[in-house]
Amino acid sequence: MILRRPGRPLPALALLFAAAFASLAQAQTAGGTMVLIAQPEPPSLAPYLSTSGPIGLVAPKIYNGLLDYDLDLNPVGELAKSFQISDDGLTVTFLLEEGVTWHDGEPFTSADVEFSIMEVLKQFHPRGPNSFKEVTSIDTPDELTAVFNLERPAPYMIRAFSAYESPIVPKHLLEGTDIREAELSNNPVGTGPFKFVEWKKGQYIRLDKNEDYWKEGYPLLDRIVARVIPDASTRTAAMENGEVHYGAFGAIPNVDVVRLRDSEEIGVTTDGYAMINPMALIEFDTTQAPFDQVALRKAISLVVDRQFLIDNIWFGYGKPATSALSSNYEPLGLYVATPDAYPESPDVDAAKALLEEAGIEPGTTAVLDLIPYGEDWRRAGEYMKQALGDIGIELELRYEDVPTWLKRVYADYDFAMNINYFYQLPDPVIGVHRHYGSNQIRQGTPFVNATRYSDPEVDELLIAGATSADEAERAATYQRLQQKLAEDLPVVNLFEMEFLTVYNEKLKDHTVSAMGAYGSFDRAYLEE
Amino acid sequence: MSLAARRARYVLKRLVQAIPVVLAIVIVNFFLLQLAEGDAVDVLAGEAGSATPEYMAQLREKFGLDQPLPVQLAAYMKNVLMFDLGYSFRHDMPVSELVFDRLVPTLLLMVCTITLAVGFGIVLGLLAASGLNTWRDNLISVFALVSYATPLFWVGLMMIVVFSLRLGWFPTSGMENFAAFHEGWDRVRDIAHHLVMPVITLSLFYLALYTRLMRASMLEQAGMDYVTTARAKGLTERRIVFVHILRNALLPVLTMAGVQVGALIGGSVIVESVFAWPGLGMLAFEALFARDLNLLLGIFLLSALLVVAINLVIDLLYSFLDPRIEVG
Amino acid sequence: MRFWKLFARNRSAVMGLVILAAVIALAALASVFFPDDPFRLVGRSMSPPGENGFLLGSDTLGRDVAAGIAHGARVSLLIGLLATTVAVALGVVLGGVAGYFGGWIDDLVMRITEMFQTIPSFLFAILLVAILKPSISSIVIAIAVVSWPAVARLVRGEFTAMRNREFVQACHVVGMGDARIMLREILPNCLSPIIVTASLMVATAILIESGLSFLGLGDPNVISWGFQIGAGRTVLRSAWWVCTFPGIAILLTVLAINLVGEGLNDALNPRLRER
Repeated sequence: MILRRPGRPLPALALLFAAAFASLAQAQTAGGTMVLIAQPEPPSLAPYLSTSGPIGLVAPKIYNGLLDYDLDLNPVGELAKSFQISDDGLTVTFLLEEGVTWHDGEPFTSADVEFSIMEVLKQFHPRGPNSFKEVTSIDTPDELTAVFNLERPAPYMIRAFSAYESPIVPKHLLEGTDIREAELSNNPVGTGPFKFVEWKKGQYIRLDKNEDYWKEGYPLLDRIVARVIPDASTRTAAMENGEVHYGAFGAIPNVDVVRLRDSEEIGVTTDGYAMINPMALIEFDTTQAPFDQVALRKAISLVVDRQFLIDNIWFGYGKPATSALSSNYEPLGLYVATPDAYPESPDVDAAKALLEEAGIEPGTTAVLDLIPYGEDWRRAGEYMKQALGDIGIELELRYEDVPTWLKRVYADYDFAMNINYFYQLPDPVIGVHRHYGSNQIRQGTPFVNATRYSDPEVDELLIAGATSADEAERAATYQRLQQKLAEDLPVVNLFEMEFLTVYNEKLKDHTVSAMGAYGSFDRAYLEE
Repeated sequence: MSLAARRARYVLKRLVQAIPVVLAIVIVNFFLLQLAEGDAVDVLAGEAGSATPEYMAQLREKFGLDQPLPVQLAAYMKNVLMFDLGYSFRHDMPVSELVFDRLVPTLLLMVCTITLAVGFGIVLGLLAASGLNTWRDNLISVFALVSYATPLFWVGLMMIVVFSLRLGWFPTSGMENFAAFHEGWDRVRDIAHHLVMPVITLSLFYLALYTRLMRASMLEQAGMDYVTTARAKGLTERRIVFVHILRNALLPVLTMAGVQVGALIGGSVIVESVFAWPGLGMLAFEALFARDLNLLLGIFLLSALLVVAINLVIDLLYSFLDPRIEVG
Repeated sequence: MRFWKLFARNRSAVMGLVILAAVIALAALASVFFPDDPFRLVGRSMSPPGENGFLLGSDTLGRDVAAGIAHGARVSLLIGLLATTVAVALGVVLGGVAGYFGGWIDDLVMRITEMFQTIPSFLFAILLVAILKPSISSIVIAIAVVSWPAVARLVRGEFTAMRNREFVQACHVVGMGDARIMLREILPNCLSPIIVTASLMVATAILIESGLSFLGLGDPNVISWGFQIGAGRTVLRSAWWVCTFPGIAILLTVLAINLVGEGLNDALNPRLRER
């Protein structure tokens, strides 16, 4: 993947390409209603306030971002026709599309961009304050230009402009209101290819084609309906029956995918998740004995049969973890394997030896908390119980509902080991740093540094990784970071998860960008 | 006082007596739900992906969750007495709107299930009792018990596999095919089409209860003195069974049906989940796990009112059916 | 004994008793037939019944389904018995006191049972397990709390009917204490409906436990039939044996208990007369 080099605007070639594409589009069949699965039901339709996955399945069809990302993770224009980063990395200029209107008819201008970033995302979005922390102001010299002024270079920021991550919201509807209370959250108004029509709670969300969409000839579908189906087997049945066309992020359980993937009517893909990089892992409370001992954590890392987990619980979809960072960062040059802590296959003897050396007696007991997001994690916990039993650690499993678990782990720190999974996101600064930095030990805030791991060298490395614009420098920084984390192991990564998208073969062009299921679906169409 | 006036006074008396019961339920439920760990803000923060402690404190203030419990309870009671069920923080909608949206699907499912279960239960119970201890009796008892003891989700899923996927007779799930935008009678037919499998699945479960009850009730009546008297008087067996015994045997069955109404809101959680039927059971279930207390309390309140009302109706029906039972 | 003769007349009840005896035997001898921990991952996962040395197949992690059923029998029966015992004890005490003393005690207990009647019982059980956090003890408590009102109402009815009978009045005259009257005189006379209700409650308890497991509220550390069903439900269409066999086990046990209960009812109920 190519980081846009400073000083060069997107070549005109891209524009030619877009035009060619548009004419190609006329050849596709327009029309039809696509039904996708929204599981679980989104809590709201406010992507500017929440990064909840189900919101990402629906909202990016209604809202646009400044950029989109192709399957190779290269930025591609959306609301921004092109962008330019200054040589010193402190100014990013976006040239915006013309003729864009909001679903209520008002014109879209650079003022909306300034408002969305500075007043909404930087203030209220879970990751916005971090992604845009270097942005001090945004100038709008004219209606179609937005100039971001940064205090320090932020190479990761350019990857945070998708409609899911940083949607552009209507200033004229939100200005002066309490943004968190706004009607907009259940009645979204965007610039995207589909307009919000109705939401029947517990049943479906209906989006109709935006006839005035700024991209000529698009969208192709007449309508998108997001259906809510609580039971996994029923979702599979609905897919088999042709009642739904599309299910992403594991809506269809892996075991059924194995059964369906050879069928002619149903297709499966692992594409479209490159911006997510989910990693399954175990977090430890590093302040509590015996988990304050690295030897114990390392022993656990050595004894887990990662391939077994992948093969038997996730039915072959996934890749064993080999480092603190996902191997998907390899194209960025930021990944390096650390086989010392992450061996290719389990080494029970080495684990036992470690424990003996550290003086940890067999018969040590602990409670293993499990993320309560489905059956797979219970199986993982049951496997861990067996595996750790083999090295003399007796585990008791605990499976509680979401609010109990969230409070216990992140508000009360009342846990010893917690199986969880996190998105590492398109750049480690956005997704990984929050788990290791000392300043990320924020009691009461979910999904940050709950291990309470704190190391000055790591903190320095994290700052360096976030502020340096030089590729080689960053690579060296992250290499050292991964080595250090492999030595300390506050978190033991289990495996890189592979999400699946299951779709009806009649549905075409749904996974055309790196955003995958979180994309706009403007090019998707249903074949007759 | 005339019979009608006596009945009216009785209804009024029962309604008045119901008020403290319902209020007590609200208070008990309120405190019970407070015992659950974590609150709605924890859930929202978890779903949002992250949230600062300041934001969470702000939300708690907005929802009134930071107030001491008695204050929260008083505020809630005040609203309830003014027929205001409060606001669902999770859905960002008034509770009454959410509940009434799901009331019709729930009633549809409930009424059809009870009708089917009670109807068939009466017939099967009758058949079993009239052939006491014969193979017919045993077969019916076993059938009823098997349908009771088979896990609901298994029955539901098997129905989907056989009747939806293999045979294509019914849709797999949901209440209607909204992509088709039916109107009027078309819509009614569409909903009925979607209703068939969930109703059958749930009825099979409750069938056992009514079958057994009817059978036992019939047998109990058959041993009564008035039956011996009727035979001595020379009435035909048919008349004895179908006019006298049946009418008396129906009473406990009806009572049970009334009792079941309350259970049906909760008991249908599994069927609603498997068939994606938008009912109150699933709403309550989700509300519990999202710690959406206002919504959950609202549903419990509704259920309490429903049960009180049904009990009253049953008692009135009783008095109509059996003149020996007085009201008032 | 007359009781056994009456009982044996109902052939299905006898069959039920036989099945129940078999289940209890399995539970008792589980460690003999299946000495290993049923949680152990002992072999090839997703094995169909009869292959790879698995009598009833293996689940997604490679655990023996048959071992799970044998050991699970113990837990499921235990949950059923414990929950029922607690519910019956509570119900007998509260219902008995209410029925015997009448007055405001009766009113209070009746109002309380009415309250329980208005909360959908399965939802209430879910609520309690969620509050107390899923474990065998919380499941037992939840089932007991949801079941006792029915017993109380029944017992209250019986005690109310009995308290004005002559033999009770005679006891008063003689100077017998209330507790003695309730325990020694009245209770033995209304044991039969209590026994029948209790036997049916055991079956219901087992069903509630499996329903809770389906919804993800089971105890993750203990193998029970409910646990197996919950674990196998996602693979129902690919590995049907994982939850079908425990389901059949539940089916047979509930069937058996109900048949026995009906038999007890027929044998103990003096008002029933067959033609």
